[in-house]
Amino acid sequence: MNAAPVSVALSARDVSLWYGARQVLDAASLDVASRCITAVVGRSGSGKSSLLRCFNRLNDEIDGARVQGSVRVGELDAYARGASLSELRRRVGMVFQRPNPFPMSVHDNVGYGLRLFGLKRGAELDDRIEAALRVAGLWDEVANRLDDSALDLSFGQQQRLVIARAIAVEPEVLLLDEPASALDLAAMLRFEELLLQLASRFAIVLVTHNMQQAARVSRWMAFLHEGRVLEFGDTDAIFTNPHRRETEDFITGRIVSGD
Amino acid sequence: MSRARNESAGVALLGGAAACCVGVVVALAAWLAVAGFAPFWPTSVVEVSLRDGAVVLGERVAQFDDAQVLRTSEIERIGGAYRRLRPDDIVSTALPRDVLAIELADGRRLFARDAGDAAALLAAAGAIESDVVERVAPNALGFGSRCMLFVKRVARFVAGAPDTSNISGGVLPALIGTLTLVLLMSVLAMPLGVATAMFLHQRRGAYARALRSAIDMLAGMPAILYGVLGLGLFVHGLGARVDAWFFADRLPVPTFGSGGLLWAAATLALLTLPVVVVSVERGLAGIPASLREGSLALGATREETMWRLLLPLARPAILGGFALAIARAAGSVAPLMLVGVVKLAPALPFDAHFPYFHPSAQFMHLGFSVYDASMASPDALRGVPRAYACAALLVLIVLTLNLSALVLRNRLRARQRMLEPA
Amino acid sequence: MFVLLLLCAIPAYLLASAASLPFAGQSPDWARLGILFGGSLRATLCALVFAVPVGIAAALFAAHFCAPRLRGWLRAALELLEAVPTVVLGLIAFASIAPWLATHVAGVVVACVVAPCALFAWGLATRTPRRRLGWMPLWGVPLVVAALVAGVVLGAGIDGTRFVPASPWNTLLVGLVLGVATLPTVYAMADDALAALPSAQTQAALALGATRWQALVTVALPAAMSGLIAAVCMAAARCFGETMIVLMASGNTPLGGFDWLGGLRSLSAELALELPRSAPSGAAWRELLLVALLLLATTMLLHAVARVMRTRLRARQVA
Ligand SMILES: Nc1ncnc2c1ncn2[C@@H]1O[C@H](COP(=O)(O)OP(=O)(O)O)[C@@H](O)[C@H]1O
Ligand SMILES: [Mg+2]
Repeated sequence: MNAAPVSVALSARDVSLWYGARQVLDAASLDVASRCITAVVGRSGSGKSSLLRCFNRLNDEIDGARVQGSVRVGELDAYARGASLSELRRRVGMVFQRPNPFPMSVHDNVGYGLRLFGLKRGAELDDRIEAALRVAGLWDEVANRLDDSALDLSFGQQQRLVIARAIAVEPEVLLLDEPASALDLAAMLRFEELLLQLASRFAIVLVTHNMQQAARVSRWMAFLHEGRVLEFGDTDAIFTNPHRRETEDFITGRIVSGD
Repeated sequence: MSRARNESAGVALLGGAAACCVGVVVALAAWLAVAGFAPFWPTSVVEVSLRDGAVVLGERVAQFDDAQVLRTSEIERIGGAYRRLRPDDIVSTALPRDVLAIELADGRRLFARDAGDAAALLAAAGAIESDVVERVAPNALGFGSRCMLFVKRVARFVAGAPDTSNISGGVLPALIGTLTLVLLMSVLAMPLGVATAMFLHQRRGAYARALRSAIDMLAGMPAILYGVLGLGLFVHGLGARVDAWFFADRLPVPTFGSGGLLWAAATLALLTLPVVVVSVERGLAGIPASLREGSLALGATREETMWRLLLPLARPAILGGFALAIARAAGSVAPLMLVGVVKLAPALPFDAHFPYFHPSAQFMHLGFSVYDASMASPDALRGVPRAYACAALLVLIVLTLNLSALVLRNRLRARQRMLEPA
Repeated sequence: MFVLLLLCAIPAYLLASAASLPFAGQSPDWARLGILFGGSLRATLCALVFAVPVGIAAALFAAHFCAPRLRGWLRAALELLEAVPTVVLGLIAFASIAPWLATHVAGVVVACVVAPCALFAWGLATRTPRRRLGWMPLWGVPLVVAALVAGVVLGAGIDGTRFVPASPWNTLLVGLVLGVATLPTVYAMADDALAALPSAQTQAALALGATRWQALVTVALPAAMSGLIAAVCMAAARCFGETMIVLMASGNTPLGGFDWLGGLRSLSAELALELPRSAPSGAAWRELLLVALLLLATTMLLHAVARVMRTRLRARQVA
């Protein structure tokens, strides 16, 4: 990976988050580079999901959640007064840990975001749905069952469906919260290929607890520990030469336990 | 006596209670079906020779331990010719084949030995041929023709107009009144109820919690209290105001200032609103949070999420609430007694005269007909069977509306394959 | 949203209008109010005597001993019963049961004793239910019916002067029919309370070797107790405000006392009968508003109790 000039798609500065009185994130800072994968790793409960939800302000939906710090997506200041939530969330797509297809047809699922932004039913909508499904590698499987319920798809297909749904609106950043945690090994490897393809078009933030996966697919890596970003940098560098004890423990512990 | 045996006896007791429940429901359904449709079955006309030499012709309408009651030809007025006969008065009873039973438009029934006799009876009753709505020889009818007659009578009951004193005849106005009322109530209550549920669903905190328990409580308030409210607030309050502003020229004759269809529907809407709100909100709450977040993450605002995702998904719950509302509205008679239901209002609430629909009109209702026919009919021997017929019809309507809403709900739910909320 | 205001307006309206009407020196007729309240109370108690044991026992059976299919059916049947307009039940009470009951009070009393005894004896004669009993209630129906009929026949034999009702429309009749009307409420709420308990608790008891009956008595029943009390309160609230059945089956005679074979007049029936006749804001109107208020207060009280009980039930489930 040559040191091409890196453009930053999303940058978070000193993001702190409280759920009620409990602080979950403590001055976390992170830059997400365009067109590559940034992995966020850390123990369960270290605040990875919470951090992602700060990026698209989904924490606004939780009662008692309070955020400090700044998040910029391109020129857009996410937490500025009067910032448009819709625009932010259109530019920052998110895929959740468990696939959550809406109980509608495959077509309507992928078209949901597009129609929100004013696209009417018609050829253009269909084209963009097809394009999204192709990128997500699902088109061949669902081409002739677009009108079936999305709930009839298999787990892996649902996973790719929600990815297609997220990329249909062509976001700049794609947040993936442990998307592969429920896949078997073969499916996971195929899924990683998909991720690498997606990385040629979007900036991707990948939350994972699987260190091998992070090592395989990510260019950059952030290690989150008890709400703080303890380490952030080139993935290979962190693996070979972690600066902090905690990081090293985590890496080696994980590898030894064979997770 | 062993513990095991005691236990088994206990279980038998519990099972007996369950059996009781089943038994009650089955008995009720059977009784309603029999008593509701028996009045339409053509009965035989008997000829009874009495000890004093008289011979009377009529149909048996009641049977007691010590006597039977015969309805003989009602020449003067309806319900005016019952004979109570004790067994030792009777010499013999016969079923002559060709007696005629004639029913007049005003409900009176005449029994004649033959055609000549019939003409004489008609003349005595002051009726002409065109007053006759039914003329049969019941004793000569086979089973098939009895069935035909039965169907005809049911049809006349459902689709006919009542006689001038609502003792006999059809119940079309009451049927239409019931259906219009339910329709109008739904139009008022459903949008409001769904809107309230949507609003409540988006709120959290003490304020919303207080509202929620208030609504819960309102859902359990006695129906009659809503009647009081409807009478005080709508009829005497709002109605009088409306009259003073728009219909001042007609005062002191009230237009909206007395009970009528609109106020009754509004009252029922109030009555059913909490039920709708509770069930729709429960439906909304049953939608997994992950779907809502998924929608928000795609850039939908809360409102868009509500309208495009949650509300369509809550359709089964909305229909379920609708079914409950219908059952509650069509079945509650008590509040209607306060806000405009009347014994007899043969005019339908809509007609060919501008403005075609008359929401201030007083109306009839099947449920009230049940009450009125059984408790206040001048002819009890017609009133109770009539009340049963109305009751069977009402139950049929309620169950049909209810079941169709539920079937629709289940279809939708099957299509969405949502988990059953709660 | 104004809907909410509208909803809250209901009690507020009653309170305000009753309070704002000048009482002009006359004090309301407290004695009559007391009699009406007593009437409602008598009807309610009598109905609960029938509905509560049967409803709760049926729910217990459904939750612990019954085939799941049958449980669904039972629930559906009772929901059907709930959808039947009460005016229809009132009609049956008024026109069909009343004349029969007038001469068969003793029979009903005896039947109420004989039927449980017969069931108990039958249970003694059969084996312990280790497993779910399945479809037993369906073959229990003939037994119950037979026991009831036997009771009635026996009762007819001993019919003395003690059991002659003052009127065919009396408290017992109201209680019987009102009991049937509230059976679905009791059953549904009790069933919910039992279903809300984590089945793991019962499973644990069973795993320790308890019989189903023991699991029920030692684990499920104590845990669900507050829910069952809530069910009784809700049923009481429903009976207390029920109008059509009482109106048609009670004879509407304003009698005091606690005669279970005498007539009664309830708060709700008073409203239904008198309100249409009284001019707004006259003296009679005022009295009737008081009646409505009393009705409102009592039902709200019962609901509040039910609420507290349900909160307790929930707290117990979390603990
Ligand atoms: N909605 C919430 N309300 C309160 N606390 C929460 C909420 N969501 C997460 N938390 C807490 O925040 C911490 C971080 O959670 P999360 O971001 O989900 O961790 P991770 O995704 O790294 O496993 C956890 O301790 C969790 O208990
Ligand atoms: Mg997480």
